[in-house]
Amino acid sequence: MSNPWIAIGALALVGVLIPLSMISVSALLRPSVPEQGKRATYESGEIPTGSSQQIRFNIQYYMVALLFVVFDIETVLIFPWTVIYRDAVGALGYEQVLFPMLLFLGVLVAGLAWAWRNGAVQWVKSPRATRQLSTNNE
Amino acid sequence: MQSETPLPDTLANLLGLDPSNPLVLFVIAVVASGVIASGLLALVAVSGIWGKRKITAAFTDRIAVNRHGPAGILIIPADALRLLSKELIVPEGVDRPAWDLGPLIMVFSALAGFAVIPMGNGIQIADPETGLAYVFAMASVASLGLVMAGYSSNNKYSFLGGLRAVAQNLAYEIPLILTGMSVALFAGTLRLSEIVAAQSTALFSLGGLAIPSWYAFVNPFAFVLFMVANLAEVGRNPFDIPEAPTEIVAGWQTEYSSVYFVLAYLSEFIHIFLGGAIIATIFLGGPAGPVLPGIVWFLIKIVGIYLFTQWARSAIPRVRIDQLIEIGWKGLLVLAFANLLLTAGIVGVIA
Repeated sequence: MSNPWIAIGALALVGVLIPLSMISVSALLRPSVPEQGKRATYESGEIPTGSSQQIRFNIQYYMVALLFVVFDIETVLIFPWTVIYRDAVGALGYEQVLFPMLLFLGVLVAGLAWAWRNGAVQWVKSPRATRQLSTNNE
Repeated sequence: MQSETPLPDTLANLLGLDPSNPLVLFVIAVVASGVIASGLLALVAVSGIWGKRKITAAFTDRIAVNRHGPAGILIIPADALRLLSKELIVPEGVDRPAWDLGPLIMVFSALAGFAVIPMGNGIQIADPETGLAYVFAMASVASLGLVMAGYSSNNKYSFLGGLRAVAQNLAYEIPLILTGMSVALFAGTLRLSEIVAAQSTALFSLGGLAIPSWYAFVNPFAFVLFMVANLAEVGRNPFDIPEAPTEIVAGWQTEYSSVYFVLAYLSEFIHIFLGGAIIATIFLGGPAGPVLPGIVWFLIKIVGIYLFTQWARSAIPRVRIDQLIEIGWKGLLVLAFANLLLTAGIVGVIA
């Protein structure tokens, strides 16, 4: 059997060439009609204000990204365990194969529970939204 | 039935060339990849341009495209030409290389994922030992393109859409991979051809009909979890909030026109089929099936999953972003952990 990564590299090359060829075909076909105001970014028909790169957004996006890093590394560490598990558990039994992983997962789940309790996976509402919600409920 | 040699090697042997020569292998693999990628593009053309409209129309009691050719099928070349010949409008203040690279990366990631999928009849570009990890890794490279598209468009809707897309991909990636790993626990390998082979034994016999041990039958709980997480991963209802046309126009796609819009659209559909291919491979026995050849069964399975996403798109309302975060982190992640431990327990009993 040959090295599979050569063939994967070939498909990756094709995966870049296809979009590039579509872009070049389109460049040959399409017209260019520059007009004033055509290039304004879409803001529901209003004249765009400010920059989009400096808008404020919810802190939640940052919190879940931070949480993701932890769990993503955890999945990388679980992958080898899943491969050897079936043979190893037959030869050595639960206490040497499953229990260490239970401990590892237990630490992670405790971390998730802590994040949950502290509201890291609960959508943060702005003070204004909370105020509006409480006036609606009254 | 299942050929062990990957497609480039088979082709090289057919032509009388030596596949151990890296250069020969690379050239032949490019040809083989071109064939598979063209097949995928044809599939996307039928399902994305024509099928999607017909399905949505059937759900909303309309007729949809019916003017060109039988059942309007000739709309496919017409629309392909129309979309490619649209004017490209580059909005003011876009971050130029990133704005161009975003859609390119998305298409690339979806196509590259197909390298390791066994499609039956020996159609598989490569079969590395870490196939399952590779396909998940490639599928999630698309997040990078989404961020680039979102922030570089200089549009507030794009920016919010990009943020939402990333938050969604992050929240559902972990349950997706953890559930995929529960299959690796059963099969004891990450090589996709071996995962398929492990599913070919009979699970039990039902009235003389042998039910194969597909992991969807062995572990239906994992299958349902994976289907839900996959819907979120490809961004279809109830998890289509990155685009949410009634909230943020078109999300990260808002400022894309002409060929870039085509690429974004193409990548979405290839991702749906890549998700379908992963599900078919690790849960539905890959190309296995009676009577018909493997590639036909493989196509039936991935088109079936495509129809499921289109059904969900037409029939299920969209969740809100706060609900999405909570479903992902509090619901699916906990269930995925429970599934992993449950599977580990079961495998320990039968091992």
